Amino acid sequence: MSYHSVKEIMVPLAEYATVPVGSNLLEAMIALEKVQEEFIHNKHRHRGIVIIDKEKGVIGKLGQMDVLRALEPKKDDDDEIESLGQFGFSAAFMRNRRKQKRLAATPIKDLCRTVSKLRVEDFMQTLSEGEIIDEEASLEVAIQQMVVGNHLLSLLVTRGQTIVGVLRMTDVFAAVFHAAKECVLPTA
Amino acid sequence: MKELTTLLDRIGQRANINLRDLDFDVLPQIKKLVPLDQMVKFYAFYGITPHHPLDFHFRHSSLAGSYFLGKCRVVNSILYKSDIRGDELKQEGDVFRYKDFEIPILMDEGIEIEDSFLIKTLVHNFSHDPKTLERFFIKDTVSAHYANIHGSPCDGCFLGPLATVDLTTMHDSIIGAFSYVQAGEIAHLNIGPGIVWIRSPGEFNFLYRHPLHKLDDYVSFSAGRTPQGFIVDFVEDRKESFQKIFDVVNIATSVPVPSSASLDRYAVIKPKTQIGENVLVAQRAYLQNASLGKGSNAQENCYIVNSRLAGNNVTAHGAKIIESEMEPNVFVGFNSFLRGRPDCRLTIGKDSIVLPHTIIDIRKPLAVPPEHFVWGLINNQADLASNSMAFSDFSKIDGELVQGGLVFEGQGARFVTAFRERINHILAANGAFFDGTANRGHAQRNQRISFNTIQPYPDGDQEGLYPTIVIQP
Repeated sequence: MSYHSVKEIMVPLAEYATVPVGSNLLEAMIALEKVQEEFIHNKHRHRGIVIIDKEKGVIGKLGQMDVLRALEPKKDDDDEIESLGQFGFSAAFMRNRRKQKRLAATPIKDLCRTVSKLRVEDFMQTLSEGEIIDEEASLEVAIQQMVVGNHLLSLLVTRGQTIVGVLRMTDVFAAVFHAAKECVLPTA
Repeated sequence: MKELTTLLDRIGQRANINLRDLDFDVLPQIKKLVPLDQMVKFYAFYGITPHHPLDFHFRHSSLAGSYFLGKCRVVNSILYKSDIRGDELKQEGDVFRYKDFEIPILMDEGIEIEDSFLIKTLVHNFSHDPKTLERFFIKDTVSAHYANIHGSPCDGCFLGPLATVDLTTMHDSIIGAFSYVQAGEIAHLNIGPGIVWIRSPGEFNFLYRHPLHKLDDYVSFSAGRTPQGFIVDFVEDRKESFQKIFDVVNIATSVPVPSSASLDRYAVIKPKTQIGENVLVAQRAYLQNASLGKGSNAQENCYIVNSRLAGNNVTAHGAKIIESEMEPNVFVGFNSFLRGRPDCRLTIGKDSIVLPHTIIDIRKPLAVPPEHFVWGLINNQADLASNSMAFSDFSKIDGELVQGGLVFEGQGARFVTAFRERINHILAANGAFFDGTANRGHAQRNQRISFNTIQPYPDGDQEGLYPTIVIQP
């Protein structure tokens, strides 16, 4: 089977984990768990959460890496350690400082208290021009956009001005793989 | 005053071009720092001695209230109450040692100030850069009140108030208020306020950050305002005393001065002050009820009030010592501010080293033990515990130390040795070890200095600027 457009392989927004702005990280993770349980229609698990505003418009995405980053020591600490670089401290020294800061930060067993205090909007990735794609766009355009956009693990799919779905790299890869298999392997 | 205004704009623009990568605008910082009408109020002056070269060249510059000694060239610049002290410059025939190199000095070194604006700044020592041994240049640079440019050629830089750059060649960089940098060579760095950074690549790296919320009480600086804070107030409160000594031509020494000591006629000496043998008191030092034991010194912009220095004490440029006891061989670094109170005095133990830009300001008696480093901002015993360490313990560091606001990497023993060697060199250079015949230093060589004054155009387009002046033997 061949795919021709983005809308054929995207995950509809309704099937995606969404939380309203103002939610905390724990609520976001629970929302993700829920969709993972409800939509086991393919072998790829959902990995991200979409953040919506009061008008149900999408304002950002929260990935697994964003959640982990939120649990890291505060950015001020990061900046302080990074600034040591300009003063000529060695890479090993800075690595060690980061490690010490991490050890002094929240242990895993205390995470439940931490994640319920952190707001999704403080850690989400806001939308950028390069990560929006029209639902009628071809698979080739989607691949090009992901590759040029470098770290984009997913694109938000629009119908007119409305975001209607999420195009994940894992689904794009699967589509490419199936297409390649169809043209190389003899049909039964 | 038209020319002077144009000159100030030109200097700001040139500094801005150098600092464009750091997105820093010098002009708002300097516009209101010194009203230009001040530039006609004060004469400039220079020293003549048989011990130092006499070679001055001033062109298209304003030099109000500034002092020159040695070999200096000032072009297209504004110097306001600055000291350009060329008594440690290299001389023809000297040999400069750098790593495995021995580099002969082919001509007398000179301080060359071009397209720069220096406010109440001290320029001293000599170029430590092996690439520019005969030229100690300061170019396209702006420095605010009480900055120190010590053995540090500068090109395209801004130094905030009470900032010090020491033995470091500096290009296109900013040093924030009350920051101290001794790092060999730096370029394109924006160093914020309250940083104390001492680095010798391959040996050690010392970095302390003053807590800014506390430092602001002592020194703060923002564009369009003159520097603020306790330290600035302390100095400004004593400004009038200096005015009096600058207003008279001949001034009698108010205290006995031993024949081996030197008391500059532009120092302020208040009652109950005692000067020991081999003591050096530089111009713009302020002594009040101060006892300076044998071999001690008070350098430019130092204030010693109701305090006793037991002997061989170095009080580096800009340091203030109030209501304190300094035991023998104590070193107080650049711009440090040590303030005890009449009922709770501060004591610094024998041989201890107060690192540059340290603030100790106490409300209860405090004693720093002998043979300790002290750094940072200290208000009580708990602060002292986290901001000091015995030399013996510091020498054991081989790797890393993080303690309070300090981060250190390298060999502590090298850090200890480097400081001790430098202090010994300073004492020797100042003449602390003079024995009547040998080991002469500044205390002996600077005893008899003649001062000549020079004046600017009093009016017209060139008001505040000095005519081109060349002074040679």
